[in-house]
Amino acid sequence: MQETLQTLVGGLSLGAVYALVAMGFSLVYRTMGLVNFAHADIAMIGAYTASTFYLTVRLPFAAAMAVAIVVTGAIGLVIERVLRPLENKDFDLMLIGTIGFGIVLQALAIIIWGTTGRAVPSPLDAAPFTVLGIRVRTYDLLVMAVAALAVVGLGFFLSRTKRGAAMQAAALDHEAATAVGIDVGRSNALAFAIGAGLAALAGGLVGPMLYVDASLGGALGIKGFAAAMLGGFGSIHGAVVGGIAIGVLDSYAAGHFQGYSVLVTFLVFTVAIMIRPMGIFGERTVSRA
Amino acid sequence: MKSRSAALVTLIAGACVLPYGLGGYTIHVVDIALIHALLAIGLGLAMGVSGQINLAQVAFFGVGAYGVAVLTTHYGYGFWAAAALAVPATVATGLLVGVPALRMQSHYLGIVTLGLALGFINWITNARITGGADGISGIPVPTLPGVDLSSEYLYYYLEVAVFALGLLFGLFVVHTSLGRRLRAMRDDSLAAGAMGAEIPYLRMTAFVLASLYGGLAGVLYGGLIRYVAPETFSIGNMFILLAMVIIGGRRSLVGCVVGAVGLTLVREWLSDFSTYAQLGYGVVVVLMVVFAPTGLAGIPARVRDLYRRRAGHHEARAELRPFTPYPPAAPATGQPVLLVAESVTKQFRGLRALDAVSLTVRAGEIRGIVGPNGSGKTTLFNVISGFYRATSGTVGFAGDDTTTARPYALSLAGMARTFQNLRLFGQLTVRENVLVALDRTRTRAIWQYAVWQPGVLARERRLRARADEVLERYGLTDFAEADPASLPYGIQRRIEIARAMAARPRLLLLDEPAAGLNGEEVRQLVRIVRSIRDTGTTVVLIEHNMGLVMSLCERITVLSGGRVIAEGTPDEVVAAPEVIEAYLGDSDLTEAGLPQPPTAEEVRRTEEAPS
Repeated sequence: MQETLQTLVGGLSLGAVYALVAMGFSLVYRTMGLVNFAHADIAMIGAYTASTFYLTVRLPFAAAMAVAIVVTGAIGLVIERVLRPLENKDFDLMLIGTIGFGIVLQALAIIIWGTTGRAVPSPLDAAPFTVLGIRVRTYDLLVMAVAALAVVGLGFFLSRTKRGAAMQAAALDHEAATAVGIDVGRSNALAFAIGAGLAALAGGLVGPMLYVDASLGGALGIKGFAAAMLGGFGSIHGAVVGGIAIGVLDSYAAGHFQGYSVLVTFLVFTVAIMIRPMGIFGERTVSRA
Repeated sequence: MKSRSAALVTLIAGACVLPYGLGGYTIHVVDIALIHALLAIGLGLAMGVSGQINLAQVAFFGVGAYGVAVLTTHYGYGFWAAAALAVPATVATGLLVGVPALRMQSHYLGIVTLGLALGFINWITNARITGGADGISGIPVPTLPGVDLSSEYLYYYLEVAVFALGLLFGLFVVHTSLGRRLRAMRDDSLAAGAMGAEIPYLRMTAFVLASLYGGLAGVLYGGLIRYVAPETFSIGNMFILLAMVIIGGRRSLVGCVVGAVGLTLVREWLSDFSTYAQLGYGVVVVLMVVFAPTGLAGIPARVRDLYRRRAGHHEARAELRPFTPYPPAAPATGQPVLLVAESVTKQFRGLRALDAVSLTVRAGEIRGIVGPNGSGKTTLFNVISGFYRATSGTVGFAGDDTTTARPYALSLAGMARTFQNLRLFGQLTVRENVLVALDRTRTRAIWQYAVWQPGVLARERRLRARADEVLERYGLTDFAEADPASLPYGIQRRIEIARAMAARPRLLLLDEPAAGLNGEEVRQLVRIVRSIRDTGTTVVLIEHNMGLVMSLCERITVLSGGRVIAEGTPDEVVAAPEVIEAYLGDSDLTEAGLPQPPTAEEVRRTEEAPS
C-alpha cells in the first residue's frame, strides 16, 4: 500500500509535466488540425534555455522560465509560418514537416549547447517531507501547482476571452470563422505560440527532475503525445488526465520492470489505444484526420 | 523505350564494375548505402505507396540484424540458417506492429509505431540476450562456396543482387494488382473499400512488405558489419530514414533508393560536420515538404509540366465520346427481392438521421430516392453500403443479412456505388481507377506474388484488356492515362459510374449522379442508367433533378426528416399530399419547376428520340 502510494506520488509530478506537453499538442491540434512532432524538441529547447538563464546568467528560476517561454513561442511562430501553405491540406506532409523541424531543433541544440547534457539543481532548497509515511519532494509540489495553474489559465483563456473564443471557432470550422471576420492565420499562429510556450514550461520544469540533453525531447515528447492520445486528442481535460495516467503508468512500470519500463509503458499504451482509439474524452467528430 | 533499356544496361554494367574504381573505405560506404536503400524501399512501400505511417521501420531493421546476431552467436546457427529464420521473424514483428493500423491511421499510427520502436530499443539495450548496450559482436562471416564474403568488395555483389531483386519485386508489386489496390487505399480508403479492396488485409500487407525489406536489410547489415549495437537502431536514425524517403520521393521506389543512396553518401562526406549535416537535412526535409512534396522523383514531371505550359503545348484534343449501350440481357423473371431495409434507424448523438426507414427493392428495378436536403438519403446509402452501421434495424442484400457487413464484403457480394462528392483515386490514372474495381480477386490471392509471378502478369493482361473495354464503352478511351482531378466535372462523374460498373455489380447505388451535369450530359446519363438496368443490374439512385427521376425511375421513395413519407410510381408520389408539403411547403409547384408533367415528358421525348 505504502509502496503503491509512493509510486503514485512519484508518477503525479512527472504526469503533470506530461500533461503540460500534451496540452500544448492538443491546443495546436484542435486549432489547426496539425500534429506537431517538433513539439517535444521545442520542450527540449525550452529546458536548455531555462537552464542556461538559470545557471549561467543566474536569473531567478521564474524569470529564466519566462525567457524560455518567449524564445520557444517565437520558434513556434516560425514553424507555423513555414508550414502554413500545408494547413488544412495534406495532413501527413505536415506531420513529416514538423519531424523535419524537430531534426533541425536537435541539431541547433547540439550546436549551441554541445553534446554533453547538464543536471539542473532544484530551485527549492526545502528538504522533502513525509506525509503518512510517503516522501514528498517540495519541487514535485511546485511542478504540480504550476501545471494546475496552467490548466486553469488555459481553460480561462479559451472559454472567457475573445481571442480564445475566436480560436475555438477557427478550430471548429476555419471557413466559417473566416467568414465572420476571424483572422484564422493569426489565431493559428497564436495557438502555436501558446503551445510552444507550454512546451517550454514543461521542459523548464522537467529540467531539475531529469537530465537535460538533446535527446530529452524524445522521451518527453513521445510520452506527452501518448498522453494526449490517451486522454483524447484535442481535449484539454483529456490531456491532463492522459498525462497523469501516463506518468503513473511510467512510474509504476519503472518500479516493477526496471529497465524495461519504456517497453511496458508503450505496450500498455498501444493496447489501451487499440481498445479506445478516440481516447477517454475524445470525440470522433473533433478529429480532423 | 530503347533509350530506357540502354540506360538500364549501362546502370547494370556500372553497378558491376563500380567496385574496381573504389577504395576500401568507399566500398564500405556503398555497402551501407545499399542497405539503407533496401530499408527505404520498405518504408516507401508502407508510407508512400500504401499511406501507412510507419515509424517502426528501424525496429524491423533491428529485428533482422539482432535475429541473425542472436541465432548465430547464442544458438550456433550458421549465417544462412539464421538469416532464413530472422527474415520471417521480422515479418511476424511487422504483422504485430501493423495490428494498430486496423484501428487508427495517420498521426495516431505514427505515434503508436514510434512508441513500439522505442519499446524495441528499450528492450535491446536492457536484455541480456541482446548484449545490452554493448551489443553483440562476433557474427560469423556468411559463407558462399568459392567466394570470400569477408571482403567488402565481394560482399558488395551479394548486396547488389539482393537489392536488385528487392527493387524489382517492389516495382512489380507497385505496378500490378496488389500495388494498385494499396495506392487506391492510400488515396481514399473508403472508396477503395467500396470497390472491393479488403482494407484490413491490405493494411497488414503494407506492414508485411515494410518488415520484409527491413528484415532483409538487417540480415545484410549483420553479415557486413558482424556487430550489432542499439545505437544503430535509434529514433534519430529512423528520422534520417524518413528524410531519405521524403527527399527522394515517397511515392516512387526509385526515388526512395536515390534518396537513400544520396543521403548516405552526403552524410559520409560531411561526417566531420555531422551536426551541421543534420541541420542541413532537417532543413531540406522541411523545404521538400513545402515546395516539392513529391520529392526528387517528382521533379522531372513538374519540370515537364512547366515546360508544356510555357510552350503552350496542346495535346491532340481529347473528347468524351458517347456511351455505347450494353447488349441487353434477357429480362429477369419473377423479380426476386434484392435489397431490403427493415426499420433502419441511424442516430448521430442527438440527431436521428434515419427513423425506422423500410425499403424493398426488387431485382431489375430502377428506384429513385428523393427528399429535401438533410432528409437522410445519403445516410441511407451509407448504411446500405456498409459505411455506417445502423443503430437499429436490419439490411439484407441478395438474401443475406448484411446489417454489419463491411463495405468491401458488400462490394464482393455484388454491390457498387458512386459518391455524391466524387471519390476518385486522385493519384491513379483513369484506367487504374477502373482497374481497381475490375479486379475481383481476394487479397489472399497475393500468394502468387511470392511463388508464381507469371500468374500475376497473366491476370494483369486480362484485366487491362477488360479495362479497355469498359473505357471504350463509356467513351473514356481518350482519358485513359489522364489524372482524374484534371478532368472536367462531368467526365469525372462518368468515370465514377464506369468504375462502379467495372465491378459488374448486381446492385448499383448512384448518389446524385446528375449533380452539376449539363443537359446533354443528363441525357447521356439517362441512357447509361437504362442500359445498365437492361443488363440485369438493379439501380437505386438519389437525385434532386426531379425531371430525371420522374422519367427514369419506375418506383420512387420519398424521404423527409429521416422517414419514408411516400413510396410508389412517379405519378402516385407526385400526387401524395405529404410529398407536396414536405417538398414545397406552401409554395407553388410550377415555381419550383417541378413535376409539372411537361418537364418529365420533355426528358422522356428527347430520351426516346434516336440519336
